[in-house]
Amino acid sequence: MRNMRRREAMMIGGAAVLAGRGALAQEPPKPAQIVVNHSGGSMGAAMRKAFFNGFEKKYGIRVVETSPADFGKLRAMVESGNVEWDITEIGGQDAIRATKMNLVEKIDDKIVDRSKYPEKVRTPYVFASSVYTTIIGYRTDVFKNGSQPKSWADWWDVKKFPGARSMRDHPVDNLEFALIADGVPMDKLYPLDMDRAFKKLDQIKPHVSVWWATGQQPAQLLLDKEVVLATGWNGRFYDLIKKGAPIEIEWTQGALKQGSFVIPRGAKNPYWGQKMLAEMSIPQQQAVYATELGYPGLNLEALNYVDAKVKPYLPTQYIDKQFWIDDAWWADNGNKALEAWNAWKLKKA
Amino acid sequence: MSSSTPFSSPVFGGARCFVKVRGFLPALPALILLFCFFLFPVVRMLGFSVEAGTLDWYAKALGEGLYLEVFWNTFEIAMIVTAVCLLLGYPVGFLIATTTPGWATLGFIFVLLPLWTSVLVRTYAWMVLLGRNGVFNRWLIDIGLVSDPLPLLNNFSGVLIGMVHVLLPYMVLPIYGAVRRLDPALVSAAQGLGASSWRVFWRVYLPLTAPGIFAGATIVFVLSLGFFITPALLGGGKVMMLAVLIEQQIHQTLNWPFAAALSAVLLALTVGVYSLAQLFTRQEARS
Repeated sequence: MRNMRRREAMMIGGAAVLAGRGALAQEPPKPAQIVVNHSGGSMGAAMRKAFFNGFEKKYGIRVVETSPADFGKLRAMVESGNVEWDITEIGGQDAIRATKMNLVEKIDDKIVDRSKYPEKVRTPYVFASSVYTTIIGYRTDVFKNGSQPKSWADWWDVKKFPGARSMRDHPVDNLEFALIADGVPMDKLYPLDMDRAFKKLDQIKPHVSVWWATGQQPAQLLLDKEVVLATGWNGRFYDLIKKGAPIEIEWTQGALKQGSFVIPRGAKNPYWGQKMLAEMSIPQQQAVYATELGYPGLNLEALNYVDAKVKPYLPTQYIDKQFWIDDAWWADNGNKALEAWNAWKLKKA
Repeated sequence: MSSSTPFSSPVFGGARCFVKVRGFLPALPALILLFCFFLFPVVRMLGFSVEAGTLDWYAKALGEGLYLEVFWNTFEIAMIVTAVCLLLGYPVGFLIATTTPGWATLGFIFVLLPLWTSVLVRTYAWMVLLGRNGVFNRWLIDIGLVSDPLPLLNNFSGVLIGMVHVLLPYMVLPIYGAVRRLDPALVSAAQGLGASSWRVFWRVYLPLTAPGIFAGATIVFVLSLGFFITPALLGGGKVMMLAVLIEQQIHQTLNWPFAAALSAVLLALTVGVYSLAQLFTRQEARS
């Protein structure tokens, strides 16, 4: 009895979908809600302000937010066939691996207009939502009048720039920084010479008092004066600078990365997921987002809508002084590098 | 136990069996829950580790220097935490068990209050207290005890302080129970026969509360082995424990078979420690 009812319901549902296709041709029925998974925190609040409120008003579909971005969970969802997320944020190299593992849907360029995006980031399966960079944050009361380290060679120079430092507890960025400090030009970093990088890292290891694990840590460590120099993501420092903390950013030789969103394969509302990405590619909305967080979107027209006061804090202003992290190299070598990193961390100095 | 019940004669064999099953019934929902949400996932997870049909991942976990060292680190930290908890916990448990009811209530509140607070909140509280410009260091500098801030945070001492704080109640409570169960007449007898307080402690209290000590030490040790948040946040990324490595394998490298193998080894070690402790307490009870 129960089975029959279920089958009946499915048939009716199927018929409705068919009828819908026939009649409207373009738009699948609106769900009550879609689920957007992102890394949470202030980023979620900014996305709500810049994108979700507008989307809800435009389509009458509630946007439910979950966090954090979790590659392991994405894989588990897709493989078990129970996909909760309609779109999800994902790390750069994870996006490449997810594409290779066939965990994501193609971006529909008929719905998501990326014509104003740089050629480099217009990939078929990954939506580039924003740019961020790992740079040097420093205490302005310790390094006054522009006396801060201005390169990774300076960062390594503990005599000229004394004080406790904090770096990320992960090989990404750090291997690149070490090689640049050791004299490798920014455009000749890849493939990374890991042995050389770790040898250089040996020199800085005793001066790193905290290896940070979460994005909020470096800004907090600077604020508490636990360290005087910290590598970190520009938006986290921007947030404290906006609130008047004695912190500034040195942009030179920063490591650029793109924030990415994908549609998980088997998502319940793929069409509305695409529509959400379309909303996130509108330049005016990207300007709102960049002003909130300091992470500009990649629609190059967005900069036209940003206040002049905010522009100095956007990494898109400094692209020439910085380098792009090669996600493809990291996707292929990340595991090996992480293992080497763990072994290096355990090594007694 | 059941041998003393009236149903134990052969005549009532069937009834006894029935009673046994009936005694089992109230526990059934909990057992089903445990099976579905604990035992099954654990077995399923262990299955990952031998998915390829080989024991390669175990060979990696037990054969490579890096992982052996992290196993050893984890054990070392667990042992130190257990020892410190015992040293701090015994006097507290003893005091609460032997003081007046009013003071005992107050003591319980102090012991249990941290248990009801989220580990994350407590960890952040320690950051505020132990930092270079934290409350402790500023106070120490103000009264002139030290001139430079002590490195209390972002190293091993930070992890130790944080873990002991979280785990101390698990040591205090079993010891409290053991001291309460102790017959005061035995203490009076020992004192009456002229034993010094020190001797009473060594010859009466310590042997008779040993099961409580073992229980507390086992719980603290086993919980320490799987610790994650505290070492990650208070250790400044310098203290590597096994749970951190397992998390890396699951979320970052997506090497689930290897994560499963590491977890399986940790599980085996935990069960091993637990059985050993059981063996000890049983012998203790028998002697």
